[in-house]
Amino acid sequence: MRQQLDTAIRLSLAGQVRNRLAWILLVAFVPVWYLLIGSMIPHVGADFRLRATGVTLVVDGHDLTLITAGLSAITLITAFVVFAAVRRSLPFDRRLVLSGYRPAALIAAKTNAALVQAVAVGAYATIILLFFWRPAGVWSIAVTFILAAATYAAFGLLIGVVVRGDLEGFFLIIMIAMLDTFLENPVDNPLANKPILEFFPSYGPTQFAAAGAFHHQVLPSMAALSLAWTAAFALLGLVVLRLRMPRPASVAACST
Amino acid sequence: MSALAARGVCKSFGRHKVLAGLDIDVTAGELVAVVGENGSGKTTLLRVLAGDLRADAGSVACSDRPGYCPQTVVLDDALTVDQHVRYFQAAYGISSPSRAGELIERLGYAACRGQRAGTLSGGTKQKLSLTLALMHDPPVLLLDEPYQGFDWQTYLAFWELTDELRARGTATVVISHLVFEQERFDRVFQLTDGQIHEEASRHAPAT
Repeated sequence: MRQQLDTAIRLSLAGQVRNRLAWILLVAFVPVWYLLIGSMIPHVGADFRLRATGVTLVVDGHDLTLITAGLSAITLITAFVVFAAVRRSLPFDRRLVLSGYRPAALIAAKTNAALVQAVAVGAYATIILLFFWRPAGVWSIAVTFILAAATYAAFGLLIGVVVRGDLEGFFLIIMIAMLDTFLENPVDNPLANKPILEFFPSYGPTQFAAAGAFHHQVLPSMAALSLAWTAAFALLGLVVLRLRMPRPASVAACST
Repeated sequence: MSALAARGVCKSFGRHKVLAGLDIDVTAGELVAVVGENGSGKTTLLRVLAGDLRADAGSVACSDRPGYCPQTVVLDDALTVDQHVRYFQAAYGISSPSRAGELIERLGYAACRGQRAGTLSGGTKQKLSLTLALMHDPPVLLLDEPYQGFDWQTYLAFWELTDELRARGTATVVISHLVFEQERFDRVFQLTDGQIHEEASRHAPAT
């Protein structure tokens, strides 16, 4: 089991790192996106409601939009990379399991690769953000980006195992990630402070980031909410993934 | 004694009955072919024998985990040839990949070992797929059209390899369309209407 786990962890990461489109998106899209959004949104005040505390902050709309722009970029990239990796390896994983690989080792390796990627993408997007804005609570932005990247890595996994075609998967990821992140921003969406947006995956990370960057406050409940979304997506995705692998009885005994 | 035995195997897809209570026995060292028209259920049969598809009824028993080379090449395009070998070495739990190295040399694609599967030609992908099925020296080998895309030299190397496997005592089942190659097999089974019929006895197995 140990040898299988080590091999799967190493090769899952190796396979994911070779996704050239993901590298291009990460290296080029993130700074271009910050630049584009940053140049379009002026430094004007915007009301942002911290629903967790009931306080309404007047924040710089430009800076807030940089946060949601970062969120939209990393959620798209992480979901896409994990989705592509899962789609690519589904039949291969079946063959490995038929050949004696333990499904638990493959599932653990995929989870590990998704988490490593979430931390790397979140940290990178934070570093690039510093070229455009130096927020007071930069660590809160980093935590936010990593939390959101983890949620969408899990979402990419779930979409990867439930949809039939690649195109519908990409479409779902783009639609949901863009809507989710932009709806939370009052500069883009006049209804951003409405209660219904509490039920969106980016609600927790956006609240956590705004509280840290504009109000010097830590909102652990918002981080927990984001982790709950991650856990829910990951659990569903991993259960479906396990169901799609050959069952141990048919493998071990080679009988039906 | 049978290295592979299937009894009363049934498989339907919706109302379409593909395998209807089929029996097959393959002994150690025997090389058998399963032939049939397109859509007759050859690939379904092999998938059931390999454990890749659950039959609706019946049983399959083989002496150990079989080597399985599916019809569609199943590889990870992002991984190199050597990384595939490492993955399957861990899957089979074998200490050394020396047999894989030997097969790579014999099938003539050693120069591609550092290349990603996504950049290999169709024939080389098929060779890698075959290597992965064979690298743990399985007692039972299930091959679905294994020589698709092979050049002539590799095609000949493949048959040399099957002769060696026969001598080693490996029971090999090959799904084949090549009617003119049928004299190479010990037995040829025709799959028709979900049932399997032995066509003619060729020659006795080596062991």
